[in-house]
Amino acid sequence: MTRRRIALAGTVAAIAATVLLLGGVLREPADDGEAAAPPPVGATPAQLATVFGASQAGETRATIAGLQDRVRANPKDARSAMLLGLAYQQRVRETADFSYLAKSDAVLRRALKLDSTDADTVGGLGSLALARHDFERALALGRRARTLAPATARHLGVVGDALLELGRYEEAFATFDAMVRRKPDVASYARISYARELLGDKRGAIAAMQLALDAATGQREARAWTHVQLGKILLGSGQLKAAEAHFLAAEQVSPGYLYAIEARAQVALARGRYRAAAALARRAAEAVPLPQFVATLAEIYRASGQTELAREQYAVMGAIERLLAASGVRSDLELTLFNVDHRIRLDEVVPAARTAQRARPSIEGDDVLSWALARTGRCTEALHYSERALRLGTRDATKFFHRGTIERCLGHRVSARTWFRRALATNPHFSPYWAAIARRYAR
Amino acid sequence: MRRTILLLVALAALLAPAAAIAHPLGNFTVNRYSAIELSGESVYLHYVVDLAEIPTVQFGKQVKRPGYAEDLARGLELRLDGRRAALLLLDKRVTSPAGVAGLRTTRLEAVFEAETTGTRSSDSRLSFRDTNFGSRRGWQEIVVRSERGARISRSSAPEGSRSDGLRAYPEELLQEPLSVTSATVSYRPGSAAGEPPRIGAARGDERSSSRFEALIAHDDLSLGFILVALAVALFWGAAHALTPGHGKAIIAGYMIGTRGRARHALMLGGIVTVTHTIGVFTLGLITLGLSEFVVPEQLYPWLNLVAALLVVGVGMTVLRSRYLAVTRPAEPHLGHHHGHGHHNHGHGDGHGGHEHSHVPEPGSGVRGLLAVGISGGILPCPTALVVLLAAISLQRVAFGLLLIVAFSLGIAAVISGIGLLAVGARRTFRRLSFEGPVVRALPAVSALLILGLGLLMTVRALPAVS
Repeated sequence: MTRRRIALAGTVAAIAATVLLLGGVLREPADDGEAAAPPPVGATPAQLATVFGASQAGETRATIAGLQDRVRANPKDARSAMLLGLAYQQRVRETADFSYLAKSDAVLRRALKLDSTDADTVGGLGSLALARHDFERALALGRRARTLAPATARHLGVVGDALLELGRYEEAFATFDAMVRRKPDVASYARISYARELLGDKRGAIAAMQLALDAATGQREARAWTHVQLGKILLGSGQLKAAEAHFLAAEQVSPGYLYAIEARAQVALARGRYRAAAALARRAAEAVPLPQFVATLAEIYRASGQTELAREQYAVMGAIERLLAASGVRSDLELTLFNVDHRIRLDEVVPAARTAQRARPSIEGDDVLSWALARTGRCTEALHYSERALRLGTRDATKFFHRGTIERCLGHRVSARTWFRRALATNPHFSPYWAAIARRYAR
Repeated sequence: MRRTILLLVALAALLAPAAAIAHPLGNFTVNRYSAIELSGESVYLHYVVDLAEIPTVQFGKQVKRPGYAEDLARGLELRLDGRRAALLLLDKRVTSPAGVAGLRTTRLEAVFEAETTGTRSSDSRLSFRDTNFGSRRGWQEIVVRSERGARISRSSAPEGSRSDGLRAYPEELLQEPLSVTSATVSYRPGSAAGEPPRIGAARGDERSSSRFEALIAHDDLSLGFILVALAVALFWGAAHALTPGHGKAIIAGYMIGTRGRARHALMLGGIVTVTHTIGVFTLGLITLGLSEFVVPEQLYPWLNLVAALLVVGVGMTVLRSRYLAVTRPAEPHLGHHHGHGHHNHGHGDGHGGHEHSHVPEPGSGVRGLLAVGISGGILPCPTALVVLLAAISLQRVAFGLLLIVAFSLGIAAVISGIGLLAVGARRTFRRLSFEGPVVRALPAVSALLILGLGLLMTVRALPAVS
């Protein structure tokens, strides 16, 4: 039972931390000027390559079976246990089936008991901590892995991701730079892309993600993931057609890839095709009820005026929240944002947002807190956090819209109108519900 | 032998696994089980669907709707000698076992009969495919059994269930969860009439605790509701005390071993109430305080260990006083009642001091009682804890606390009752006057049993802690 609950803590997990950790061990990409270091030789154990060899063919299942046999035959084999733990994580990335996070955790702990100085084991536990949104722990584990294996770029990814979520952007970006210099591959290019996006450089972000895509040749899941990321950047600037092409490509590379299906639901929603959108989102949410999938479905029902159906999805979110609470996660950023957006238990939402922001003082944490404060009428304090949320120069229509609402609440009509216009200029489809309001106020 | 039997029954209860539903793949799974029963000339299908917490919220309502089982039948493709057989619903039941965090799960069981047409050859083929819940993750299991003259010659599916019909999922780190959705069988039908499988009894414990948890989430709190809720909590506490655990064996053993009296049994009840209440409150507060660092269930192993060690201590104390009594028989009335000035020797059972001369009064006195009571009450049951936490999250802390007190009182009533029963049993025993070495040795035996139980609990608690 214990493990079950923890498995749910991983729900949310799969959202942010699916960043290709294992993906780091692949082939070398074409050069990119800014990243032209030779790949470290010998850092990658031969066995790790077998994990990859299999996953390239999309045969993680077979790899897992093989490793399970090996661990069963030789329970003292730390290496195989570690590989199995990482393969379970690969499975989560491919199928969104987060129950494998608990299994990965158990196997990696076993590996750690057998060999406490194995960098890949420590790094694997670090990526699990990321998945569970335990960023301080992830940072500690990532740093330990980096110390144990200074030559391996992969562990820098864990360190950088944790720093990013903790709002320590300067250090995070420096870490990503070091990572891509050491090993320019999918994992590092994807992180560079995300960093550029945060800094408001969308074209740069797209270029880096394109490099990641090139680097992912032959790896099914990594390619699918990268396509979805590329599509999401494009979607964020309202380029529906180009975005959709990437989502479709992802599904082609990895049929039934749930993240792509849910992303296509968002495209359909932006186009106002509610029936198609609902069908797609339902497919994703019914296969695996990740909060993000359920939230999209609720959003679609709300936008199409099907309040009763939307309310059902709120109930699902409520259940997820209770399960998370039972597993020790007191408040979660994504769930809090959902509750603020949908005016669910608004009286509890500000304390929840404060807790979430403290645990994750990133611009996302700041944004959710500012929005929670704004929705409950505390606009002066909201403005402070909105300024923090936009401190990197990120071009995110939703954050702009939140800022506009705050300015309006404070009586700054002119400034508010500018922010609403900026939101709509960045992405006219950022939310069918809020975009309509933004259009009204932008006039 | 009655007390020994009493002890053995309680021992068995202690060892029985606690009934808690745990889903192998997480709280979002839809798990399915199909048992194909070849019974005489008939073919039956016992189909079970177990929805974990999230799917219960997502479409539990649908599952409860009449006609849903018939819809499911459409997704079950059973072919006899190549021809698809219609499935006729014979019986169905939907229950809502308690899940994690005060949420419900949903369990649907249905029994179908496959329509068999014409005379069946002695070599029949059956194929089965479950196409329900297409992309949902979950445990998927098929078993095939035969009885009443039907004989299986070849089957792709096993006879026994690895999950006890979706009741207890094996927790396997190194094995993939079952995902079997089809089976083929060659068999010879019997000539006798078949007998359809029956839907097993629902588990009392799961339902009772779920009802207890539901109390807290009730929307309006009128005085009447509060009173009813308290009464219900009291009752469920009592019912809960009868489920495995709670140290009933230890209490019975202790009462017998130390020749305690009715008063002691009642005191024991009081101590258990207080300890259990304090335990839940403390754990609740600790949980709230530590929830950023520790998952509450990480605390349970330690509490288990503490309780186990306490029991070992009690056993040793009782055993030691037994030993002293045997080695120093000359010293009469070793333990006068816990030094509170209560010098009541004969308890009117008509047996003079002979017994007492070599058996101390509830030897370790208040201390012993405290130790036993604490070991029985310190382990707050998860149900009680969940109620408290749910109450806190619903900002109805006072109500939650009140319910916990009532719940603990219910537990105490049962434990006192068991203590009284043990006392009564012992008196009956004595009246029957089984004087002799065997009876005289029994207190020592029960002390050993307590010790053994304590060690067992320790052994069970240790791996979880390390």
